[in-house]
Order: sequence, then structure tokens, then C-alpha cells
Amino acid sequence: MRFALSSEQEQFGATVDALLTEADTPRAARAWAAGDHGPGLALWRRLADVGVTGLTAPEAYDGLGAGLVEVTVAFEQLGRHAVPGPLVESLVVVPTLLAGAQAAGSGAADSGLAGRWLAGIAAGKTLASLVLPPHVPYALDADLADPVLVVDGDSLRSGHVGRPLTSVDPARRLFVVTAAQPLATNVGAARGLDAGALACAAQLVGAGRSLLDTTVAYARQRRQFGRPIGAFQAVKHQLADVLVGLEMARPLVYGAAVALASDSATAARDISAAKVAAGDAAYRAARVALQVHGAIGYTAEHDLSLWLTKVRALVSAWGTSRWHRTRVREALCAAG
Amino acid sequence: MKIVVLVKQVPDSGEERTLRADDKTVDRDAATKRMNELDEHAIEEALKLAEANGGEVTLLTMGPGDATDTIRKALSMGPDKAVHVSDDALHGSCAIATSKVLAAALGKLEWDLVLCGAESTDGGVQALPHMLAERLGVGAVTGARKVTVEGATVTVERQTDEGYEVLQTEGPAIVSVWDTINEPRYPSFKLIMAAKKKPVESFALADLGVSADEVGLANATSQVLEFAPKPPRQAGVKITDEGEGGAKLVEYLASEKFV
Repeated sequence: MRFALSSEQEQFGATVDALLTEADTPRAARAWAAGDHGPGLALWRRLADVGVTGLTAPEAYDGLGAGLVEVTVAFEQLGRHAVPGPLVESLVVVPTLLAGAQAAGSGAADSGLAGRWLAGIAAGKTLASLVLPPHVPYALDADLADPVLVVDGDSLRSGHVGRPLTSVDPARRLFVVTAAQPLATNVGAARGLDAGALACAAQLVGAGRSLLDTTVAYARQRRQFGRPIGAFQAVKHQLADVLVGLEMARPLVYGAAVALASDSATAARDISAAKVAAGDAAYRAARVALQVHGAIGYTAEHDLSLWLTKVRALVSAWGTSRWHRTRVREALCAAG
Repeated sequence: MKIVVLVKQVPDSGEERTLRADDKTVDRDAATKRMNELDEHAIEEALKLAEANGGEVTLLTMGPGDATDTIRKALSMGPDKAVHVSDDALHGSCAIATSKVLAAALGKLEWDLVLCGAESTDGGVQALPHMLAERLGVGAVTGARKVTVEGATVTVERQTDEGYEVLQTEGPAIVSVWDTINEPRYPSFKLIMAAKKKPVESFALADLGVSADEVGLANATSQVLEFAPKPPRQAGVKITDEGEGGAKLVEYLASEKFV
């Protein structure tokens, strides 16, 4: 069995990376936080051109019907470039829930939910958001998104958008949402949550990598006591620890993608382990990045803040570390 | 319309490149290999023309076996198929021999227009389109910043140092392009996956009716006899301004005959 990514998957990742590098995502993220969604939505459509938004939607709805490994490849890059918007919700969780309802023959197909939304999502024109209590209590960008959904147990309801809340990450615009009409039942909420946690873990690995790259570049350039600060062991070792953490988390995330895609019996455990490892690694990357940058890293003007705050928010999104750790422990105890 | 795009796998120009110690040819194994950057613009232009006028885009490359990597990446932008000329005897071929082989390969293909990058980042010769045109008896317009095709007439805005010239030729023709002509598209996931299944036809020298003693390093019209790594940069002259910094600057510039 071959575990490495295929050359096509590598090329897809490199394509998304190149597109986002050129697209000036920090500017789009700042504008998004300030309420100007133009640059972010334009970015979203460019992502649609290369197929990122259509990865999970089935081909019948203009999607690509690609696998979760490709989703992971894409989300690693989306995290790396701090792309704003309800990415996990639109591109992964809503298509997963609709596919679940369709498989169960429980209403999504009859009521045409998939037809109503999936083609728009694949085209990069529809943003979807949702709450999935208790793990996803507030909906991201609910004022822009249509549909806004509520996962209530294992059924799907439309949502009524309430007041906005502030996140530690200004680019994450959160809203209170209350449940309204029922839309479908047996949506497979557990799988939806797992897919969301997986995409979030991939974003964390990408964001951590970006923080490390930025910080290494800074440590080479910034001089103190007559040499680059990266020449000091105390700085070097911290950066090495960050790299090790990210390198250890990344295979866990890809392994979890394979597990969920193949409906492995350990998929839930693998995803939780990956989410915790990715969260810890990215959080360490954020703390070291801030310390190595020193005062400049604290300023809102420096782009570092975009990643620092995003990582802090993503660490506890799609299930807190505590919840995921508990799930790993329970799975291991049950298996023993 | 049928368009052939010439593509070449080159060592990444963003990295330190070197020559091999044994036969003084480009050290391809030491470098990251990628598609010549300008070729991406040629492919983009071919795809645009084919989309506007209907037609088919074929890639043609001459290179070692591992050039298949570049072919797949080039195909993922959207061309329909590719032709790969590969033969051990071709190693070290000069531009003239290369043009002989490519002309022979083009003779086996149907085409109305050949597009290529204005130069390769490793060779930088820029003469290949003319050599090909001479061998094939067609027109060549090089250094395009805009190409339009109406019927058999190909109109090209040719970029010059001062501005541009408008040139026309009747097809079939060969046109080389600069990077100002367009913005190459990013390959979509769908096209990346589709590229795996697109046909790639391989030609050896014998298939093209070119003899091995017309090509290769031993028969090259130009050969590298000697090379040395570029000297390290000299430390600059530092002028500290203590009131007469400006005068010292001018003195230095005058001593180097800049002013």
C-alpha cells in the first residue's frame, strides 16, 4: 500500500498554494474582518475555478466527487493562506450531511436540497453555514451564507440568524442561530462532525506551517548581538520543536482522511487524534512565532496576527481538544 | 484549427544551475526540473485560440525520459494530447540538431499553427522558431505579445524594446511568445486528473528518420570547452557621509566612468 500523496494530489496542492500566494489572501482576510467581502468572495470564485469548492459535491451537482484526501490537501493550503469564510461548513460538512440524508433516503433528495445548494457551492457562488451543537455552537458568516442550517440531533433544520458575536479571530464572524423548519432526517451528523474536524485539522497543519515559515524567515533576517537571532540555540530549538510537532501531526491528519474515506472502524478515533495533534502543533507554532517575532508580532499591522488568532480559534472549533482527547481514550479503552 | 505547442523541461531558473563535470552539458539531475516558464504562456495562448476558433492543442517536447513529468503538468492545463521525442542519442544536441528533430516530428503531425516560448530559460538561444520555419518552409514571427487568427491569416503584435510591430503571415506559421501575452491558467483538479489519461505518443530518432550521427553532443555545432563558477561578488565600497559624502560619491562614479 502506498501512503504518500499521488503526484496528482501533490500537483493539486501546489496549484492551490500558487493561486493563493499570488492572490494576496492577507488583504482579503483583513477586508473580510472589516465587513468588506468583495476580495474574499472573488478569492472564493478563483478557488472554484481550480475545483476546490466542488471537491465533495457529487458529479451530478457539478462537483468532482473527489475523496477526503484531496479535501485534506486543499484545506491544508486554505489554512496555510488563512483564507476567510465558512470553508469547512460549505465545502465539507453541508455536502457530507446532504449525501448522508440521500443515502438514508430521508428527504434530502425528495425535497431537492442537494439540487438547491450543491451546484452553487461547487461553483463558488453559494456559501453555506451551520451550527452543530454542542461542538459548533455558532454559525460562521451566517449573514452571507444561504443556507444557514441547524443540525439538531440527527436531523437538519433551517436556521434563523440571530445576533452577531465576536471571535478571537476577527475574520471569523460568528452568529447565534436558532432552529426553524425541519428539512431532512438521518443526515449522519456524526460523520458530518468528523469531516468538519478533519478539514479543521488540515487547516491547522497548514496554518502552523505558515507560522513556522514566516518565523524562520524572520529569525534569519532579524539581527541582535551582532548575529541573526536564528543563530541562537534557544531560538533554533524552539523552531525545531515546532517543525517536529507539525511533521508528526500531518501524517495523522492524512491517515485520518484515509480512515474516514474508507469507513474504517477507527475513523472517529483517528480524526480526534489528528485534531488534537494538529491543534497542539499549530498552537505551539503560534506561541513560538509570537515569542520569536517579539513586539512586532503583537501589532495588528503585522500579518502574523491573522494566523495567530485563527489558530487560537480553530484549536477549539469542531470539537474542543478535551472532547477529542476523551473520544480517543474511550475508543482505546473499548478496544482494549 | 490544430495547434502544436513546443514545450521544454528545464532546470528551475530560480535555483543555482550548473554544468556537468564530465561532458559539460547542463546538469539536469542536480536541478529541480520544471516546464520552461514561457511555454506556459504559449500553452495558454494555444488554449485560448482553440477555445475561440475550435480545434485541438497538441504538445511536442524533446527531452529525456523524465520529461513525462513536465508533459503531464503541461497537459493538466488543458491540451488534448502530447508527443514526446526521446532518444539517448539526443543528449547534448545543439539548437540546429534540435530544430532538425522537431521539424521531423512536426512533419508527422497535422497543424495550422505552432506556438512556443520566445526562449528557454536554460539555453536562451531564441533562434529555434526561425530554424524550424526555414526547415519547414513556413513563416515565423517571434516575440509576440498578442496573436490573432482570422482564417489562415495570423496577425501578431511583436514586442520590441521601443514598443511593438504588427506583423502578418499566412498560416501555417510558427509564433513564439513572451510572458506579456497572457496570464497562464491554474490547472483545475478535474484537468489534473484528466491529464493522466490523455494520450502521449513517443517517438525515437528512428521513427522520425533522423540519423544518430546528425544529433547529440559529438555532432553539436557549438560545444562548451571550459567553464568556471561565477566569481563571488566583490565587497562594495562604503562611503561614510561626514559632510562631503556627496562629493565622494561623485568621485567614485567618475572613477568608474559612470558620469
